[in-house]
Amino acid sequence: MRAAIVCAFLMARTAIAAPEDSDDLDRIPRDLPHAQTIPTTSRQDRVHLKIYFENAATLAARRDVDIPFPPPLPYDFQNRTSLDSVIEWRPVRQVKLVLSDRADLVEQESLALMSKQTVRNELREAYVSWEPFARTYVDAGRINAREGTALGFNPTDFFRPGTLVGQASLDPSVLSRNRLGTVMLRAQAIWDGGSVSALYAPRLFAPSAIKSALLGIDPRFAVTNAADRGLAKITWNLGDTSAEALLYLETHRSKVGFDVTRPVGQSVIAYAEWAGGYDEALIARAIGYGRETGTLPRDAPPPIPTQTARSFHNDLAVGGSWTIAAAVTFNLEYHLHQGGLSRNDWERWSGARRDIPALANELWYIRGYASDQLEPATRQQLFLRAAAPKAFVDRLELDGFSFVSLADGSTLTQITASYYLSDAWTAAFSASANLGSSRSERGSFPQVISGIVQLVRYQ
Amino acid sequence: MPSAMSRGLGLVLLVLVSVPVLADPPEAQAIVDAADRARNPQKPFRQTLTLVDYVHGKAQDSVTLGVQAKIDPQTRQFRNLVRYLAPPRDEGKLVLLDASKMWFYDPASKTSIRISAQQRLTGQASNGDVLTVNLAHDYTAKLVGEETIKDADRQERRAWHLDLAAATGDAMYNRLECWVERDTYRAIKTKFYADSGRLLKIAYYRAFAAVLGGTRPTETVIIDAVDSNLVTTVGAGDFHEQEIPDAWFQRDYLPRLEQK
Repeated sequence: MRAAIVCAFLMARTAIAAPEDSDDLDRIPRDLPHAQTIPTTSRQDRVHLKIYFENAATLAARRDVDIPFPPPLPYDFQNRTSLDSVIEWRPVRQVKLVLSDRADLVEQESLALMSKQTVRNELREAYVSWEPFARTYVDAGRINAREGTALGFNPTDFFRPGTLVGQASLDPSVLSRNRLGTVMLRAQAIWDGGSVSALYAPRLFAPSAIKSALLGIDPRFAVTNAADRGLAKITWNLGDTSAEALLYLETHRSKVGFDVTRPVGQSVIAYAEWAGGYDEALIARAIGYGRETGTLPRDAPPPIPTQTARSFHNDLAVGGSWTIAAAVTFNLEYHLHQGGLSRNDWERWSGARRDIPALANELWYIRGYASDQLEPATRQQLFLRAAAPKAFVDRLELDGFSFVSLADGSTLTQITASYYLSDAWTAAFSASANLGSSRSERGSFPQVISGIVQLVRYQ
Repeated sequence: MPSAMSRGLGLVLLVLVSVPVLADPPEAQAIVDAADRARNPQKPFRQTLTLVDYVHGKAQDSVTLGVQAKIDPQTRQFRNLVRYLAPPRDEGKLVLLDASKMWFYDPASKTSIRISAQQRLTGQASNGDVLTVNLAHDYTAKLVGEETIKDADRQERRAWHLDLAAATGDAMYNRLECWVERDTYRAIKTKFYADSGRLLKIAYYRAFAAVLGGTRPTETVIIDAVDSNLVTTVGAGDFHEQEIPDAWFQRDYLPRLEQK
């Protein structure tokens, strides 16, 4: 009897509405409308168009440098107005045609308002994709085949050289958004837990000189298809580990590559990306390329003594991301580029005589070549990045990164604030600086600081 | 007589109390499993979610996501492929959510970035899979009791109150509290807690409708417990059963994924 009464009391207690319940409900606005009813629609549209307009104005400040920079100097002012478009057309279910392009109007210091360089076009991709069997694909045309999982440097991204186009940011993750594809034939098969792909990119033109000036409407196939190249890749997942193995084939520059990612707990992703193969060092490659394309005299000696024989070089990016309080994500990476300038090479670069123009041209050509190849100039660096998608207020995104040279501690640092004015409009401001002593890797660069104001209208 | 009355009253009390005692509530884990099944179709399906943030009661940002979901037969957990359909600046971006295998793909840069469980929560899509999550596998449930609570429409409901503790490393939250309607196994409300014990958000499920063979919530109201001014509604619609091959749930398929 007593037990029954106790039971009844307990049941009665648990049946009382929790007092906090009404508090929770009070936080829902009384007039909150029911979520939008989404009409049933078919998204099998045959044609899909994505376009946006962008205006990016750049102001920069230069400084005197120890090693004279050959003309043309980096600009102090540029305004670029762009129409960015991606069109996908699926005439039949198994076939898709893709065209990705950016058209620019450029006003720039020392550039006539109307000239051949005012209008510029970047044909990023133009290819057809065919799926003859389920999850088996054949692609042909100009394709942006990007590889790698690291953020600051991708040793396995073998098709990156020469693909860079004008950007409103120096952030490596932004740079890869607008790069040129390579003409290739690619096949890929995807199955449960893995995939395999192979591609062949033919040589269509002889190597061409690196051009720092604007290039009009030249599709630049001579940059992206100046050698016969091939790539085979296999991807697999084993438990929480995701891995890729790559074999890259190019005359005198073949490499093997490997990358792996794995979560460590709830907030860390660890990753490593490596490529290795027999190749010339950066200095020898750069001077050789300059001679081959007529930029440097055929008998130009390397400005810094270097080993011209090919040897095994390792490229490595290893690091991780760490997200704190679901608000900020930090990335830290160590980059090794064994073919890059050693500490001794760098001391010779920065200590070279400044009164010999031909020598200065060659010294800067090496760095320009490294930049064109999208590879570090020196052997070791750190890369740090921080990103906060909702910084202080919901619509403000802040991110920043820094490359730190381990040769001399100099840095390239950029901070970007993006504000989403509406669903269609985004405004952004980036400030970047090359910081370090005048003889350091970054401090020796003539452009000391730059700011970019960007306004984007999405359609 | 007094003794008879006492015995009679005792019998009445015993009957009143014994009904629920004799008809024992299901095991807590079974309730959670049943609620999972009531909330989501068990066959592979796709749906469109529209998330709207309300700040001080006024609509601010919205995101539309296409979600393709399939249960992993081994873990009984949903695997999701999430595509941004709007706003235009994010259109085409993809997120693969498959236990600890989470990848973000940006078609503009052709870049796949592996993301952690914490990083997944930094974007607005963190609320996108609130509906397509099976709690029974990743949490150990304990029945707190039976309560009468008000649902999102302020209607009183008899509900089981359950306390869920993370049981696997894949659990997104350290602890949950959820209320499941006794007669229908419909989820009414869930509270999400961080590792520190801090309450992060409260989800109310409403607008139940016939969806793919069951009566399921088509709207979730998520109250941000950290930012007291923020409420997010997640409207679900455009449901379709869809064959989704297992091969789709990997990094290399993301560039090939079409919204069908």
